[in-house]
Amino acid sequence: MSVITIQKGHTLRIGGEPGSSISSLQPAGRVAVSPGDFYGIKPRLLVKIGEEVKKGTPLFGDKRFRDVVVTSPAGGRVSEVILGDRRRLEKIVIAIAEGEEAERFTACSLDECLVLEPDDIRTTLLRSGLWPVLRQRPFSIIADPQASPKAVFVSAMPTAPFVPSTSMLLEGREHFFQAGLLLLGRLTGVPVHLSVSADETAEVLVKAEGVELHRFRGPHPAGNVGIQIHHIAPIRHRDDVVWYLLPRDVARIGELFLTGELPTDILVALGGEALSNRCHVRTRQGVLLEDLLKNNDVEEPARLISGDVLTGIARRRTDALGFYDEVVSVIPESGTREFLGWLLPGRNRYSASNLFLSSLAGNKGTRLDTALNGSRRVIIPFGNIESVLPMDILPTWLLKMILARDIDEMERLGIYECDPEDFALCSFVDASKMEISAIIREGLDYMQQNG
Amino acid sequence: MRSVRKILDSIAPHFSGDGRLKMLYPLYEMVDTLLYTPAEVTSQAPHVRDAVDMKRSMVTVILALLPALLVGAWNVGYHHDPLAGWGGNLATGLQALLPVLLVSYLAGGFWEVLFAVVRRHEINEGFLVTGMLYALILPPAVPLWIVALGISFGVVIGKEVTGGTGYNIFNPALVSRAFVFFAYPSEMSGDAVWYLPDAVSAATPLAVAASVEGDSGIRLLGEAGYTLQDMFWGSVPGSVGETSVMAIALGAALLVWTRIANWRIMAGGLLGMSVLALIGNALAGSFSNPMLWLSPLHHLVMGSFAFGLVFMATDPVSAAQTDRGRWIYGFGIGALVVLIRVVNPAFAEGTMLAILLGNAFSPMIDYGVLRANISRRRRGYAKQ
Repeated sequence: MSVITIQKGHTLRIGGEPGSSISSLQPAGRVAVSPGDFYGIKPRLLVKIGEEVKKGTPLFGDKRFRDVVVTSPAGGRVSEVILGDRRRLEKIVIAIAEGEEAERFTACSLDECLVLEPDDIRTTLLRSGLWPVLRQRPFSIIADPQASPKAVFVSAMPTAPFVPSTSMLLEGREHFFQAGLLLLGRLTGVPVHLSVSADETAEVLVKAEGVELHRFRGPHPAGNVGIQIHHIAPIRHRDDVVWYLLPRDVARIGELFLTGELPTDILVALGGEALSNRCHVRTRQGVLLEDLLKNNDVEEPARLISGDVLTGIARRRTDALGFYDEVVSVIPESGTREFLGWLLPGRNRYSASNLFLSSLAGNKGTRLDTALNGSRRVIIPFGNIESVLPMDILPTWLLKMILARDIDEMERLGIYECDPEDFALCSFVDASKMEISAIIREGLDYMQQNG
Repeated sequence: MRSVRKILDSIAPHFSGDGRLKMLYPLYEMVDTLLYTPAEVTSQAPHVRDAVDMKRSMVTVILALLPALLVGAWNVGYHHDPLAGWGGNLATGLQALLPVLLVSYLAGGFWEVLFAVVRRHEINEGFLVTGMLYALILPPAVPLWIVALGISFGVVIGKEVTGGTGYNIFNPALVSRAFVFFAYPSEMSGDAVWYLPDAVSAATPLAVAASVEGDSGIRLLGEAGYTLQDMFWGSVPGSVGETSVMAIALGAALLVWTRIANWRIMAGGLLGMSVLALIGNALAGSFSNPMLWLSPLHHLVMGSFAFGLVFMATDPVSAAQTDRGRWIYGFGIGALVVLIRVVNPAFAEGTMLAILLGNAFSPMIDYGVLRANISRRRRGYAKQ
């Protein structure tokens, strides 16, 4: 099989890699769900404070797609409903009951699964609250249940920092993963593309049935689903929809149908230099970050990020792990100002460029914290941005057209193929310190409203 | 050092918000971030950022210019008094060069700060490069008032009127140089300008090669003492920075290794120059134009081709900004240099004009590359 080799990019060598040990760490009494995890959702609250809920009971729905609901990851009582500005739903907290109950969904054997009608699969996914694991490109929003995609993508080669390897993630749940892949094929009737790394040997991935297997080689962002879509089935226009989901969620789909219960068990990596005990934990969807960090000393000042350092969101300890996140990164917050820092040889400065002495040692002995490492400047096209974007897209022009709000030109330059997470490295290496990811998001939002 | 930090922090409120001196914030920002790495932390993803910034990028260019500056200064002193020894030569050269550099920085910096304050944008570090580049492409004996006038024109007309750094169409240092070249022909041409006052002057290599008909130009070059080696090491008259191809090559190596300058432009330029020079060589027998005899090697080491290609053509803002475009742009400049040198009798040197022309065409080159990208992607879509 041919391997798609990606040249451009940069794999971040950030300190604080999580160890390979896996321990179990269950939430201490509470879990929380935030509509903010689902980009573009217009939440409609379906529960009241004090109401009893089971695992799998709908908590809120989406006003855009009426059938889409997000359900409770635990059985118990709704203890808090937090509203933000303009009464926007921010967070629902569930107090977990002792002998928690779970909603039942139809269970079936693998053979029975394979003859399920697509509509039945869709209904069960929607009712169980597992549907939101399916997202669509363009725009990275929850997939429209009424639409049909041209393909489904699953990336099983994480290249972002600290993300657990797929084979580790799927250990012991290989049959769920396989069932999930088949169900996805059955649901959509279109090819399911599974991308693995060029040297992947795990049988669950390379021998997977009902998929088109692709092999990729190269630095981050080669593992990003957006890059893989670009190389296999590029998105041509706004209605040329591709669905994608995480490998762990493929397994959860399989588990839902084989067991008849909403699966909420997930694997999370805890990494970052500010943590004392970096490891992997098995835990539950909606776990609070303070529970996840129970066995860890955090070296303050530190930034708590749900997600990886390139794309995650800074959170407080009392917030929950993001719905799609597989990593919690805790990195040192920057506080020092170096005297004449721009003149020093820079043996301890991390850079993807060759501008510092550290490049001779491959950035060994450097440390990344939250410093911006420079000040905002105008665009000077040195070519840094281009060197980490493995797409046939001209990023500098696209950015200019986004800022100019030129819809036609954005379309021609391929905005629909773009996603903020694929441009995170561009923000990282930019010498002008532009928020490139945010600009791409701005452009996508603008296209969604006006395109 | 901590006291400096304290002073800066204590005066910071005057420059921000409703402070009395908020007009001068760009100046404060410049001093503050020049002395200490900025305090800003990331506010959104990605939460970590590369250590690269504009200051580091620009100071790398300065670093790359240093060999050319030092060898150039030595060369100025050498031509003033060949017997003074290299230390004496360097001292004489620096004595002549530093005032030029200082005036260039002060006069240009004045406009830079004025525009930053009035238009409320940050002071861009790019000026550190512009000011030095300009000083290095001037003849050593240039009057200081011309230096000041030239850099003022370059910064204001070449850069600020179109929006400042990042928005300029032409390389501001070259605009300055072109301005003094065309505005003060009597002060800026002839042989004497390449020497400090009261030195024995001689024609530059390019002037020598163009001076007689037929293939004797090359022979004459040798007789004037301009061997390929001399021109490579840099002991010939010329603008301060341009003479030593060896020093320029050191700078080029640094710029390419750090990827501050794009190697495609340099490679394209060498290619374009070589192709045109070889075509010229092939035709040399049938015409009386002496410049046709110059080999690509001669073109490389003579005049300001190497300096222009390495330091001026690669200015990321005024050059083509797409990778394919950079090849075309570089090739065009290399070819134009030879064309102007060889075919146009009015100009012995073509680099400045070739690069300015390249700058003028680079938006069009990029436009073509952009359309090609769009139609290529469209074809890819259709295949799917």
